[in-house]
Amino acid sequence: MVETRSGISYVRLIRAYGTVAAGLLIILAFSALSPESFMTIDNAINISRQISFLVIIALGATLVMAVGEFDLSVGALASFGGVFAAQMAVAGYPIWLAFLAPMAVAFVIGFINGWIVTRFRVLSFITTLAMGTILGGLNFRLTGGATVFENIPDGFRYLGQTEWAGIPVLSFIMILVAVLFWYVMSHMSFGRKLYAIGGNESASRVAGVRVAWNKNLAFALCGMLAALTGILMASRLGSAHPTGGDGLFLSAYAAAFLGMTSFKEGVPNIWGTFVGAAIIGILANGLTILQVPTFMQDVITGCIVIAAVLMQKLGRGNS
Amino acid sequence: MTLLKVAGLDKVFGQHYALTDVGFEIEAGEVHALVGENGAGKSTFIKIMTGVYGLDAGTIEWKGRRVDIPDPGASRKIGINVVHQDRHLVPSFTGYENLFVGLEYPTNKSCIGVSWKQMKRRAEQLRSDFGVEIDLTKTADRMSPPEKTMLEILRAMMLECQLLILDEPTASLTDQEAEKLFALIGRLTAQGTAILYVSHRMDEIFRLSDRITVFRNGRRVDTVLTAETGKDQLIRLMSNAEVKKGHKRSRNRSSGEKVLELSGLSTKDGKVKGTSLNVRKGEIVGIFGLAGAGRTELLETIYGLREPAGGSISVAGKTISSPSPRNSLDNGVVLIPEERKRDALVLGMSIRENMTLPVLKRFSGWLKLRSRKERATVGSWMQEMNVKAAGSEQAVGQLSGGNQQKVVFAKALLSDPVLFLCDEPTQAVDVMTREEIHRLLKAQADKGCGVLFVSSDLQEVLDIADRLYVLHDSRIVAELDNDGVTSEQVLGYCYSHGKGSEHHG
Repeated sequence: MVETRSGISYVRLIRAYGTVAAGLLIILAFSALSPESFMTIDNAINISRQISFLVIIALGATLVMAVGEFDLSVGALASFGGVFAAQMAVAGYPIWLAFLAPMAVAFVIGFINGWIVTRFRVLSFITTLAMGTILGGLNFRLTGGATVFENIPDGFRYLGQTEWAGIPVLSFIMILVAVLFWYVMSHMSFGRKLYAIGGNESASRVAGVRVAWNKNLAFALCGMLAALTGILMASRLGSAHPTGGDGLFLSAYAAAFLGMTSFKEGVPNIWGTFVGAAIIGILANGLTILQVPTFMQDVITGCIVIAAVLMQKLGRGNS
Repeated sequence: MTLLKVAGLDKVFGQHYALTDVGFEIEAGEVHALVGENGAGKSTFIKIMTGVYGLDAGTIEWKGRRVDIPDPGASRKIGINVVHQDRHLVPSFTGYENLFVGLEYPTNKSCIGVSWKQMKRRAEQLRSDFGVEIDLTKTADRMSPPEKTMLEILRAMMLECQLLILDEPTASLTDQEAEKLFALIGRLTAQGTAILYVSHRMDEIFRLSDRITVFRNGRRVDTVLTAETGKDQLIRLMSNAEVKKGHKRSRNRSSGEKVLELSGLSTKDGKVKGTSLNVRKGEIVGIFGLAGAGRTELLETIYGLREPAGGSISVAGKTISSPSPRNSLDNGVVLIPEERKRDALVLGMSIRENMTLPVLKRFSGWLKLRSRKERATVGSWMQEMNVKAAGSEQAVGQLSGGNQQKVVFAKALLSDPVLFLCDEPTQAVDVMTREEIHRLLKAQADKGCGVLFVSSDLQEVLDIADRLYVLHDSRIVAELDNDGVTSEQVLGYCYSHGKGSEHHG
């Protein structure tokens, strides 16, 4: 009895931390291959800045995945946030407003996503795909198809380009958002309800959870985080392109799916997503240092996601 | 000619015998009715005949030869087909396409493409042979209920079908629609196909069938000639003759306040029609009805899972204007759903998280869940309810059915209920847990709660209810004080309100 229990817990341990271990292996591999450029403090700081965008947008996706839905409009929402914020800054609005207004609008757009899904029982896949298409078009309409970069005030670049005590502000923001949402998801009743809905929507409804409302909020928060990501990217670059955030969409879901294989097995979770995004970021960084072309990086990243998910499935089959 | 002969059929689920030593014969060209209460074993028998279940003992003889029916394909091959109550059609396919699902499509000259022309010709031939008037170019989702039934029967006839099993075929048909079905049945039997007709509707059984086989508690009680049998006699055969000794609790004849009062409650979809009933403090009220009578729907409407279209619900004297699960819980109304895994539990979450889900507010401090208080509360309820688990953090999905049901009850009790709505509360739990649940419901009633419970086990209703309502076709047809009521009487109410005595409009 005792033996089997410890046996099971080994399997659990490997399953819960297998992805983390794989991440550490990747770090070791890069350190061995390129000790003088990869394994440096400078590069670590660099990585933390590079992954900040992916972490934030993937955390939003994680919230929506926790309620058993998908938001495919996150990429377009990020582009939208960046473009909208840059244009407000150019138009002379105060910087804080130029940052907060797009987030508020994205919150509302996300809520509308959720409302269409919950009110009319449309698949979130279809709804958010359409919303993403609409936003993609609007982004071009807003900018006339050009990158917004002229007359952007210096204050706009502060968050993206400043370091505090040698550490980028972006990295601080990433940590702050992660801790905040970890707290929300594991220590507040809102998070508990989201997980309950994802676990069994019907039972949650019977238990008095307001399913539609909570789902809508998850979509809204996801939209807001996507816009924040786009804004931070624009601030980092000092410019905003109408498709600037689109590319983050697939990586965000790759990170979230990788994350589902860690800690809370099979369940989207905050630290899992964080680790997933970190692995993707570290891979990109290390492979760049090793001068592997970008397209091969995509191939490798995709393979790792499939491998992680397969490992988890196989592990479950054995027990 | 004897078409089908079964003997000594046993089917066991766990320790429960669903069928015991069942044996009877079906003749070619006859309409053979199969009747019995809910859970008498009719469905299990059909599933064995159609290869869905294997059998644990016994023999099946088909036209004098012993056969095995290991899978649904085998049953279709020898000529047994079933038309279910819940229809198995592909909604987006046309009538033609549905007829050929699962069959080999006729191919055109190239031997690759499907010959639609040939397919249509064959389908039309069959359709006119049986005089069925449906438009086969329509997709199934645009067909009316009777058209779908006809289509299913046609599909069964695509292959040489010698035994057609009809499971409650008229459940969703009006009288005129049913007439068409009966005419078709006549044509089928004339050409030698035997029909096994499973129904709760007495009028139809007496009108259509040649012989009737009665199941009770998984046994075949008798097979009778329809012409020599009366309705009363049949009901007597179906109802449980064993009289269990009553262990009814003594109670003060209820004069308590009404915890629940419904007047004229209905829903848009007609699953609940003009229902009025009440539950008083300290009272256990049972609702009995045959499958499809609208029992679950009634409880769901009271709880707020279905939108009422008319009538009123009042809980403890307060009229509920917009019923929703949240409001119900806040008013002290709890629901124990029928489908535990689907509607009552989040299987991947822990016992603790499941129990406190409806009352999270109580454990929410400023921004934070008070986990120490939560753990303590859950721990004491697990002890109280005697939940056997590794601890409060164990996932509910890993518990046995009985222990899961205890978690469901503990969860309900946590929200300080004044009214229990229980839908088949002892379904799929072991005998011990069943006793515990009965004790618990009685204890709650003694404490002044109201209990409204639905069960398809009539004996259970008679054992623990103080009063009972009989539900038939979404309406309440009788209210009885459980004081010397016999199961025969109750079943009489269920069956005497058959199709013929209703008005359709």
